[in-house]
Amino acid sequence: MYSQFFGNYLLNNKLVTAKQLAEAMEIKSETRLKLGVLAISAGFMNASQVEIIHGEQQRVDKRFGDLAIERGYMTSEQVNKLLAAQKTGFLLLGQALVDKGYLTNAQFSNAISDYKLKYKIKSEDNFSSTSDAMISIVSEFYHFGNASCTKTVTEYVSLLLKNIIRFIGDDFTPLEATLINNFKCERIISQQICGKFSAFTAVEANDSTIAEFASRFAQEELNTVDEYTTAAVGEFLNLHNGLFTVNMSNVNDVELELMPQKSEHNTVLDLKTNAFCIPIVFTFGTVNFILSTKN
Amino acid sequence: MTIDQIKVLISDDSVFARKKLKDYILSLGVAEVLEANDGQEAIDLYKENKPDVVFMDIIMPKKTGIEAVTEILAFDSKAKVVMASSVGTQKYLKDAITAGAYEFLQKPIDNNLVQKILQNIVKEG
Repeated sequence: MYSQFFGNYLLNNKLVTAKQLAEAMEIKSETRLKLGVLAISAGFMNASQVEIIHGEQQRVDKRFGDLAIERGYMTSEQVNKLLAAQKTGFLLLGQALVDKGYLTNAQFSNAISDYKLKYKIKSEDNFSSTSDAMISIVSEFYHFGNASCTKTVTEYVSLLLKNIIRFIGDDFTPLEATLINNFKCERIISQQICGKFSAFTAVEANDSTIAEFASRFAQEELNTVDEYTTAAVGEFLNLHNGLFTVNMSNVNDVELELMPQKSEHNTVLDLKTNAFCIPIVFTFGTVNFILSTKN
Repeated sequence: MTIDQIKVLISDDSVFARKKLKDYILSLGVAEVLEANDGQEAIDLYKENKPDVVFMDIIMPKKTGIEAVTEILAFDSKAKVVMASSVGTQKYLKDAITAGAYEFLQKPIDNNLVQKILQNIVKEG
């Protein structure tokens, strides 16, 4: 999860361009995480120590972890911890940017420590994406105000990001939420949640982006936007809202109901209350997630 | 009864959800799969065709799945209606059971569970 918000951080601080970020997101799936990247992120080594080991690796045929232990930069316990985390895919984005030469190891090292400070991420959080850590980063990143339902909105968005990763993919960067009440939509699929937490929820994007989003979810190639394509997006929304409803019932003892989904084309959304528009930039286009609460 | 002899009705307002389930059920060797777009159409199609099993979404326009299963059971007390919903809360489950549902599946539907249900329907004849 952190790599998505880290991408946004790099973009906002003009450390990388949107094009470089998109390119790195695409290649990160093929990249394996390097121990040096993990060591910097965990705070076990600094950038110059990593450079020294990388230089040494060009002369001797030894593994990074072994050399770092020999030089006393890391304990074998620390190396084992990193090896265990190597498979989790964490920070592949940063590594892809370093590999491409868009960021130096030193820039990456500075960016990661600033980023962690800003979002209050503890080093050990890197290795497990717990719900608490996720909710904390979402509430730090988005500014959902001080309304009574802020906690619920934060839980909703945390779950949404998890479900996007689960059902669509992890090649995205979230942008900061904006407040809207009038919104021009090319293609919008919506669903109403009723009950103690009453909300209007929707997915909006242009047709080509909707088709690609639907293709990912349906796991089949959908090139045109027809009833089947919008129904696939509707099913994503329905599954997500369903899981949210289950969580609300189990954790908060609040029973909610879902209404049938609606799909509209070239329309202007005119909401009586302000809504949060949460843009998610995928490698294939930008999808806006809209959430408007009534209480 | 064998699997190619059973008749299945799928009721869901999502053409996507219907197609995914229908494709899987056809792949098991079922020959006849009917489709309804809302709760009322499900009731009408049930009365006309008397399917061996119904897969019923809960959140649908016109009539909900709960309303539809109640009406179907009033017409045929032996009807086997499997409820399928993305909302797997105790309340939804209770409503489905109270209405007389045969089974409850949470979406995304696990195909293995669909296969087991159909095998039971075949066994029960």
